[in-house]
Amino acid sequence: MQEKVEAQNILSMNSVEVLYDNVMLAIKGVSVQVPKGEMIALLGSNGAGKSTTLKAISGLLKAERGRISRGEITFQGTDITEALAQKRVEMGICHVIEGRRVFEHLTPDENLTAAAPRGMSRSTLNAEKEKIYGYFPRLAERKNSQAGYLSGGEQQMLAIGRALVTQPRLLMLDEPSLGLAPFLVEEIFGILQKINKDEGLSVLLVEQNALAALEIVSQGYLIENGRVVMHGTAEALKSNSDIQEFYLGGGETDFHNVKHYSRRKRWLS
Amino acid sequence: MDWVFLSELAINGALTGLLYSLFAIGLVLIYKASSVPNLAQGGLTMVGAYVVLALARDVGLPLWLAIPLAAVVMFGLGFGIERVALRRLAGRPVVMILMLTLGLDIFLRGTTLAIWGGTSRSMELGVSYDPLFLGDIFISRIHLVGAGVALALFVAFMLFFRTRTGIKLRAIADDYMASWSVGIAVERGVGLSWALASVVAVAAGVIWGEIQGVDQALSLLLLKGLTVAVLGGLDSILGAVIAGIILGVVENVGADFLDPLVGGGSRELIVAAVLILTVMIRPHGLFGRHDIERV
Repeated sequence: MQEKVEAQNILSMNSVEVLYDNVMLAIKGVSVQVPKGEMIALLGSNGAGKSTTLKAISGLLKAERGRISRGEITFQGTDITEALAQKRVEMGICHVIEGRRVFEHLTPDENLTAAAPRGMSRSTLNAEKEKIYGYFPRLAERKNSQAGYLSGGEQQMLAIGRALVTQPRLLMLDEPSLGLAPFLVEEIFGILQKINKDEGLSVLLVEQNALAALEIVSQGYLIENGRVVMHGTAEALKSNSDIQEFYLGGGETDFHNVKHYSRRKRWLS
Repeated sequence: MDWVFLSELAINGALTGLLYSLFAIGLVLIYKASSVPNLAQGGLTMVGAYVVLALARDVGLPLWLAIPLAAVVMFGLGFGIERVALRRLAGRPVVMILMLTLGLDIFLRGTTLAIWGGTSRSMELGVSYDPLFLGDIFISRIHLVGAGVALALFVAFMLFFRTRTGIKLRAIADDYMASWSVGIAVERGVGLSWALASVVAVAAGVIWGEIQGVDQALSLLLLKGLTVAVLGGLDSILGAVIAGIILGVVENVGADFLDPLVGGGSRELIVAAVLILTVMIRPHGLFGRHDIERV
């Protein structure tokens, strides 16, 4: 029974604690499961620990002097808690970090080349690039200009494309909608959904824009103060009144009946 | 105005300048692959020259074998420096890494002084000292050879930075974190850039060693090399070549005009002025990349 669950989850994170600089506890026992081929969202406000959770999975914590002090992470049944970031990318985990961070002085085409795994043949790389340009036709148009001068949306597309070159099995995205116009968010999320369907790519999405995220994922985890405080299907979360009020906006729209006391996040204490 | 004399000054200045470029290419390589200005390049150049001499004189190998062998040794040393010293600092503020390279330079100077002493040793490449005349203009053969080596390295590295490995190195210089996130072996890339710069140091060390002898003064090439690299734009190999020629000409011609007025020593002043003015007026140099700021 246990093994069957393991086989279904491409990623399993169990009670993980992360320390920065050996003192600051950033996440306090987070457990997240990503079923194979599904899209999962991590929601929550600023500083809740969502980005740290992704970095714990991708191994980028080390670059920020963080470490996993408790718990374990398994990917496709292999314990990766101590593995190097580079190794995890080879295994199939790719992390699109916050703020896009394209290689600004390279062209989009060179950005894709830079991410090619060691030993990938020239023909495979070209086929990968063609596939990515197929998903993001805007990138194809500008593939030889300087990446730093692309628009925010194009840079986000490039960051996702660059991650796809590594041929991931699990794609993690940190706030892909940040600073983008709503129609662009819709476009990018639509493409993510398509890649997820076409290739069976599992996706772990960190978002503050819960409304957009819950439209495309199957399950969501709500993280606050470094803990998972709620977990459920996208439908269940969307209809939860607390989620509606604090993360989706809306809720009380009739200002004549606004409550006189300020509601608080009861699930925090 | 004596035009023959002036063009002789300019041509020899340009050749000397290309020898500065030869040195500066090493600086640019490391900057291009890790965004760190390497203050130890002077020390590396000196070590490169000493290693060639050690293999040629103390071991007794012929020069044509000693030089490539020294290049291999220095390639390994470059990788070793990354492994032992730089790896711990990856991702830390550049100023800390800068201080580390300064410390490394002092360490290399001290080590060579301890092993080989302070007396100058000569590097005889077998290039004829007979003057070469281009019309009425006198040209030094060793300078011509050095300029050729500089141009050959320039072409080689221009091509290298278009290869997949070269593109990965440029990506590392742009963003360490993003490089890690897509599985680029950042540490190995930085190591490779140091290894290549160390090989360039052998080339520069051999040519400059032949010209001025192999001693501690070789490491002072850093000042002129850094000026050339900054003027060229720090991350542009083409910039290093062109800036080398410019600095060489300006220095040679300028010194000829200024020396009689100030009684000598104006070369250093000209170099310092070029460095300071570049940083003040055009901090990105002639061909350097700008940091892109989108509004």
